[in-house]
This record gives sequence, C-alpha cells and structure tokens, in this order.
Amino acid sequence: MSRTSPVDEVRAQLAELLPRLRRFARVITRNVADADDLVQVSVEKALVRAEQWRPGSKLDSWMFGIMKNAWIDEIRARRRRERVHAPEEAGLGVGDASAAARDIALSVQAAMSRLPEEQRMAIALVLVEGLSYKDAAESLGIPIGTLTSRLARGREALQALLGGKAGAA
Amino acid sequence: MAYADGELDLVARAEIEAAIARDPEVARAVERHRAVAARVRSAYDGVLGEPVPERLAALVAAPDSTPVADLAARREATRIAIGRWRLPPWVALAASVALGLFVGMLVMREPAAPYEEVNGAFVARGALDAALTSELASLPDNSGVAIGISFRDHDGDYCRTFHMHREASVSGLACRQGDAWKLQVLAAAPEHAGELRPAAAMPLAVLHAVDAAIEGEPLDAGAEAKARDAGWR
Repeated sequence: MSRTSPVDEVRAQLAELLPRLRRFARVITRNVADADDLVQVSVEKALVRAEQWRPGSKLDSWMFGIMKNAWIDEIRARRRRERVHAPEEAGLGVGDASAAARDIALSVQAAMSRLPEEQRMAIALVLVEGLSYKDAAESLGIPIGTLTSRLARGREALQALLGGKAGAA
Repeated sequence: MAYADGELDLVARAEIEAAIARDPEVARAVERHRAVAARVRSAYDGVLGEPVPERLAALVAAPDSTPVADLAARREATRIAIGRWRLPPWVALAASVALGLFVGMLVMREPAAPYEEVNGAFVARGALDAALTSELASLPDNSGVAIGISFRDHDGDYCRTFHMHREASVSGLACRQGDAWKLQVLAAAPEHAGELRPAAAMPLAVLHAVDAAIEGEPLDAGAEAKARDAGWR
C-alpha cells in the first residue's frame, strides 16, 4: 500500500487533526456526544472523498467545511423529525481544568451557546482554531466580508454576555 | 478586530500601532478584543488534552486487511456499537466500494436479483423495479416490497424509500433517473416481527440518505399517485 495515495495522506493527517476536530465540534454542537458523532461522520465523509482534497492544501480548513455542512444537515434533519434538542449545558466538557478555570470556561461556553449558529462557527474557526479570515471564509463557503461581520457581531455579543471582565483577563 | 486577529498587512499594522500609541481608547479596544479571544480559546483548550475516543482513532488508523467476506458483518457490528446519528460508511452511495460489495453479495446469493449493475450504478430490477414504478405507499404490500416515502431530490428527480424482505430484511432509497430506479443506498434492516417495517422505522443510513437528498417535503398520497401516473417524470 503506497503511502502517497490521497486516502492514506488524508488518513495520516486526520489522525493528528483529531483533537482539533473534536474541539471545533465541541464549540459548534455544544455537547460532547454530538461533537464526537459529528467528528465521526465528518471523518467518514472525508475518507470517502479523499480524492477531492488537493494535496498540499490545508486539510484543517477542508475538514472544518465538511464538519460545518454535516452539522447543518444534522440540524435540518432534526428539525424535520421534530426532535430538536435544547442545548445540553450539563453535558459541556471542559477537560481537566482547575475549578476556577472551569467556572470561566463554563461561562464562556454558556455565552457561546447563546450565539447564533453562524456567529459561533465564525468564532470557532478564527478565535479558537486560529484560522486566517481567508481560510475560515473558505471553510464556511462565505465571502470574507460576511465572515468578518459575523465575527464582529459574535464578538460584540460575547463581550456583552461575558460582562466587563473581558478587559481584565 | 482584524488587527487584533493578526490579519493586517505591515502598513496597516503600522498605522494601527501608531493609533494605539496616540489613543488609549484604541489601545483598550484592541486589548478587549484580544482578551475575549484568549478567554474563548482557553475555554475550549481542555478538549485538546482529552484522550481521543477509540472509535474515532480507529477510523483513521491504518486500514486493516479484513477479508471482503467479513465486511457486512463488521459494518453491522460497528453500526450497532455506535448508534445515534452516525452515518455508516456505506452510505457513501454508488461511488463506494462498500455498496458494491453489499449489493454484489445479494446479487450472487439470489438467482433472481432485484438489482443489476449498469455502468457502475445499481439499478432496480424485477419485483423491486415493478414496486418502485407502480406501487403506492398506501396500498397493502403483496410483492414482498413495501414503499415508504416518496419525494423529489435537489435535481427534481423522484426518489422513493423501500423495504423488502427476501433472504434478509433490506431497506433502501432509489431515485428515478431516465427510465430506471437507481439505488442510492441499501441498508440491512433489523428483523421485525410480523409485517414489514413502516417507513418511520427506516435504518439510520436510509434516513440520512433521505435527509441529504430531499428537497422540500415528502409527497402526500395525492401527489404520489399523480407522479406515478405521470411515469415519475
């Protein structure tokens, strides 16, 4: 089996990307179980379409785009089946942070979960994943101007939700 | 904002930095932006340190060399183990080898195959083709094939879900292309005591394929009959 086939290349890079894919999924789904299911579905889709990925281009942006579409499909499917779940805030996971850090994390996550889907995705890509505006816009399939305005609105809302404490961090 | 995110070119950066030096208000705004960014990032950093669940790691591990004959069993096992809304790999439609193998096995096992491969696509034949073409969901099943829901896909083609019981219980989705019903997905359906499973109990793989393909809402009984009478065009 050749190491240079696109599927193998994607597979190898995905193995390293998994923690970040899980983090991105956690931000957009707001729920641990949904997040890992989303990663699984997206990885499966990516492996099936590995041929469509241009070697040398950024796999993370490509994956985030697949994940965003898979999540939107899932939301639509749930609405169609009239099984829309309320955000499960109790299910939020924040890793092994200290108690104090966890409080902050929870309040940030609670604030994030109140943002509209599109703003949360923009923030997840740029602020959490550190993508450039250009890569983030590409992942979401929107113009850069749309991305920056979602980002600005999301940030404004976050600052308001998190209170003045943001300036002190 | 763009400055705080490190998005500006050198000239623009220099201008902003000059503004920051001149105006403490600008400096505070930039600081606030960065602080929010830092808090958001640290709120999710914990995820990176978590162990990756085995089922995810296994997906991207080097492919194993499971014999072809075991594929269906393996797939069924993972489907049951994982549950929720995961998409089984064989939803990857006609492009995927998996469907080919699955259908291939059915074809080999059954002399009167309900499918046939035509130019790389799987096309309904025999009782399945007849049921898809002429049966309505509301009619009682008398052909071994039950029709679930009918709808139009994004290209305007008609698609129908079906369930059939031959040697095994199988559900699937077929879409009308030209004069043939092309199979989009085929999934083993859990055995169901008594009559055929209702559309509402379709396997997840079929539900997902429907969700991905459907444009608007499923046809009601009237629209379904009309579409059939018009030859699904």
